[in-house]
Amino acid sequence: MTRFFRDLWRICRNDKAALFGAAVILAYLVLAIIGRSISHISTGVPNAASAYLSPSWTHPLGTDNLGNGILAELVVGTRPIMEIGVLAALITTFIGVVVGLVTGYVGGILDAAVMRVVDVFLTIPGLPLIIVIVSITRAAGPLALAAILSITAWAGLARAVRSQALSLRSLDFVESARVQGLPLRNIIGRQLLPNVGPYVAINFMLAITGSIYAEIGLFVLGVAPLNGTNWGVMINLAMSQGALYVTKSLISLLAPMAAIVLLQVAFVFFTRALDSVFNPRLRVQ
Amino acid sequence: MLWYVVRRVVTAVVVVFIVISLSFFLVRLMPGNAMQYLTDQLERQGSYTPQEIQQKIAAVYGILPHSPVWKQYLTYVGHAFRGNLGTSILNPGETVVHIVGNALPWTIFSVGLALLISFGLGVGIGTLMAVFQSSRFAKVTTLVVSFLSAVPNYVVAILLIYFVADRAGLFPSGGAYSVNVTPGPNPAFIGSVIVHAVLPILAYVLTAFGAWALTMKGAAISTIGAEYVRSAESRGLLSRRIAQSYVGRNSLLPMVTSLALSLGYVFGGSVFIETYFTYPGIGYYLIQAVTARDYSLMMGCFILITVSVVVANLVVDLFYPLVDPRIARPATHRGRAGAKTEVTEPVPVGSALP
Repeated sequence: MTRFFRDLWRICRNDKAALFGAAVILAYLVLAIIGRSISHISTGVPNAASAYLSPSWTHPLGTDNLGNGILAELVVGTRPIMEIGVLAALITTFIGVVVGLVTGYVGGILDAAVMRVVDVFLTIPGLPLIIVIVSITRAAGPLALAAILSITAWAGLARAVRSQALSLRSLDFVESARVQGLPLRNIIGRQLLPNVGPYVAINFMLAITGSIYAEIGLFVLGVAPLNGTNWGVMINLAMSQGALYVTKSLISLLAPMAAIVLLQVAFVFFTRALDSVFNPRLRVQ
Repeated sequence: MLWYVVRRVVTAVVVVFIVISLSFFLVRLMPGNAMQYLTDQLERQGSYTPQEIQQKIAAVYGILPHSPVWKQYLTYVGHAFRGNLGTSILNPGETVVHIVGNALPWTIFSVGLALLISFGLGVGIGTLMAVFQSSRFAKVTTLVVSFLSAVPNYVVAILLIYFVADRAGLFPSGGAYSVNVTPGPNPAFIGSVIVHAVLPILAYVLTAFGAWALTMKGAAISTIGAEYVRSAESRGLLSRRIAQSYVGRNSLLPMVTSLALSLGYVFGGSVFIETYFTYPGIGYYLIQAVTARDYSLMMGCFILITVSVVVANLVVDLFYPLVDPRIARPATHRGRAGAKTEVTEPVPVGSALP
């Protein structure tokens, strides 16, 4: 494990983009945890006098139509975004890895049957399905939203992990584990899992990116209930108040979009660095 | 070969069947489901007798609310396979099939064109990045391309509307064609359609081609390192021949599969882009239906999106043996099962995104 971090640090030091990515992700995580205690938004009566203020010391990004500081809203909105994104990625990765390893290792009828199910989930377009389910169930809780967001995403990972498990199955150490009569749980968890670990880690990061994209999209479109403060809700409200046509409210639209882009780009850059830690072949360049 | 075709067709039909069943389940059986919602709404209006309410429900969803559930299910599936998805609540009197039928060509036109452009652009740039791996060009392009692939398409759509359409006024910000041209095969209409499609297509391409370029780069780099390429080089073949027949063709193979698999993702993205550009495609109507709680139109859009993706996948699957004859021969497949590692599993580009 320490070797992993040493490798990661070495690559980050040489690759400024990766270092930037890691720093940004860390900063967002910190904001998600402590954000609510360092910045406050009023939930009381909207104050017309403080609406659409220009940037100032108290409100570095100005205020929105309700007189709330935009920067404060961004900070408070970090937690729901990160929370749902990470939860959804955890669900996606867990199901994908378990299904992939078990079907790949056990094979036979189980494998054939489960893979047909995976094929179906790979074919159904994910985002429209998510939109339909969210709009019918009116799901609003973080766990429910996260579960819906991962409804089709696990299938791609399951298939990729399965093909790796297939090739691991015939290797000596797995065969000797089988001959020793180790239980399935041990073979899956102790023998196979560590060998697909790096691949899973990268896909976990990608799953977070994908979930955040879809999750914010749901709020932006107004499909998910618009309660609470998060960047998607902010964009939705700014758009519906005509931020495109009223210059003074432009910041309330651009700020959350910038927050999203910064986070997504950071994830992509950092994932690339992870990739080159795990795949020495890519390191040559 | 015949077995291969049969299997693909059966899988496609099964997926469509599952999606239709799923939509029945969602509309009819979910707690607080759509049918109950409409019934309550009509009862609250108070001006209808229970029989009239039943008839209205039957007209909208094509099933009678008080018959046994299994019977409702059979009716729903039967109707759906015959192309009857009920009528829209949002647009009274119009059948869902009529609405989505009019919307589909716009989506296929814009999404299809955008997908082809991003694929071509991505493959081209990706190959260049692989060939000039250590150049400054490759490093800068990799950064730019990774950046673009990370930006959500709704953000790009909003920015394009603001800067290109509103501020600069270069292209119209919405609609599929302008109101003062008559639809038909005349130059004014075709010109208007093209001008209106520019920004939506640009929004797709900007956010999609990066993933293609990076995937192609990876595929091409690993092909360049393969031994048959080195042996071709040592046989003194022309470098152009090597690039085209040895590297190009072999690294394109997984890309073609990814093209098919990414269709679902692109159709999903059309939801955002069409909504913001008010482009009257399927994604636009899906969101309209969601906002208005028009569940029959919503399920119609969803079923049609899925069917389009299934059909597109099927077409690619049927053409794939022409590109790679190994695919359709189960015998060779079985023989290779042990050596499966070298067959790289095709993964849809952008697959991490739902």
